[in-house]
Amino acid sequence: MLVFLRQLGLYFIMLKKVFSKPEKPLIYYQQTMHEMVYLGVNSVGIISIISFFMGAVITLQTAYNTENPIYPTYLIGLGCRDSIILEFSSTISALILAGKVGSNIASEIGTMRVTEQIDALEMMGVNSASYLILPKIIATLLFNPLLTLISIIVAILGGWLAGTTAGVITSEDFIYGIQYAFIPYYITYSIIKTLFFAFIITSVSAFHGYFVEGGSLEVGRASTKAVVYSSVLILLFNVILTQLLLS
Amino acid sequence: MIRVENLNKTFDGRLVLDNISVTFETGKTNLIIGRSGSGKTVLLKSIVGLHEPDNGEIWFEDILFNNLDFEERKKIREQMGMLFQGSALFDFFTVEQNVRFPLDMFTGKTLEEKTERVNFCLKRVDIINSNKLYPSELSGGMKKRVAIARAIALNPKYLFCDEPNSGLDPLTAILIDELIKELTEEYSMTTIVNTHDMNSVVEIGEKVIFIHEGIKCWEGTNKEILHSDNQILNDFVFANSLAKQLKSTENNNSV
Repeated sequence: MLVFLRQLGLYFIMLKKVFSKPEKPLIYYQQTMHEMVYLGVNSVGIISIISFFMGAVITLQTAYNTENPIYPTYLIGLGCRDSIILEFSSTISALILAGKVGSNIASEIGTMRVTEQIDALEMMGVNSASYLILPKIIATLLFNPLLTLISIIVAILGGWLAGTTAGVITSEDFIYGIQYAFIPYYITYSIIKTLFFAFIITSVSAFHGYFVEGGSLEVGRASTKAVVYSSVLILLFNVILTQLLLS
Repeated sequence: MIRVENLNKTFDGRLVLDNISVTFETGKTNLIIGRSGSGKTVLLKSIVGLHEPDNGEIWFEDILFNNLDFEERKKIREQMGMLFQGSALFDFFTVEQNVRFPLDMFTGKTLEEKTERVNFCLKRVDIINSNKLYPSELSGGMKKRVAIARAIALNPKYLFCDEPNSGLDPLTAILIDELIKELTEEYSMTTIVNTHDMNSVVEIGEKVIFIHEGIKCWEGTNKEILHSDNQILNDFVFANSLAKQLKSTENNNSV
């Protein structure tokens, strides 16, 4: 319990340092742009591939589990749309990003710690936590919602392609289904969740990297911990946010 | 001038620095020597503020450094340059960006002015035509020299070097030592070098402090160190067989 409280305290101390006034806003802006490419644009590929197959499977599963003459087939499109927007595109994407981006952040910052690069920054009088972490947080907060939107579009596309190719639904029914009783707030809900998840992934992973002690072995462990803790927190906040935003 | 008074530092209850008091002089290469684990790096990192001492005082001229907060320390830190044991160059920056980094962060110079300064510093440490290389593409000696170029980019008053020639061949180590000494004299800096390399002690040790198990055991010059009667110091200085032979030859001659 004491260890947990100490870690929590360290996490908030780190956040206080991260959100202090930047030394040179222009340099932070350049770093943010760099991180947006590195953490965001470079994740478009993996998110698109996963979303495409996720959408395809959801459509086929929905179709095979609702094979009943009472149900109109356009409900397959509707079910696919709501599952993707409400849950899969934000939560599954976040879990994927926790693995890809989270481990990357933890190992990058952890390596900087054990090779004294962070000491070099501190020595120069640079707020290392802010310089290294703030651009990553801003970049993911700005770019991850875009990744979620891309995920939604590609997943629905995957669902349409799989459904029509497998012959479980016609193109017209699927398109009617994804337009039927559409609630725009669901998109807002998905974006809000994505923002929380982006902050969790970046800050938790950065925390594990920033306070690593030892050598390459510890950096590897920190990277694993970053993914595990981020994933668990994403799932926990998924429940909390769903209750708060949809109740 | 940097003055350390009654400095103590513990880690998890283990005393690493025990009541260290020492003055490091301006325009001189001050060496801290001692065995691995004797507390040299902790002392150096405490002086620059990377470790907080348990008690004691660290004075930069007439400013009590360890009483200052982060923002106040910044002003003094801008006058410091440090060469880390593993060079600590930023992996994601090129050589040029590494040396330019302190200029980007702490000066309002134009890009042309900064590039000019970067090229001057790199030329000063004999790094030519390597501006666009990344640290992973450099040899150990080149990394150290780039790190020195970065350390002197802001024209510092204080230069700190943590084992500057560890992992280098003897010839490159001598070049690095000479470079540190030249820069110290050229810019009249207060330079503190951590080392356990006796070559460095003999070549550049204008003032030498010997630390043993966290205690300052001896203080003097590179001339005096060879004739000291401090047994712990002699065990360290004349540890290798060549040095032992030289010492015994010298003793025989004097008899």
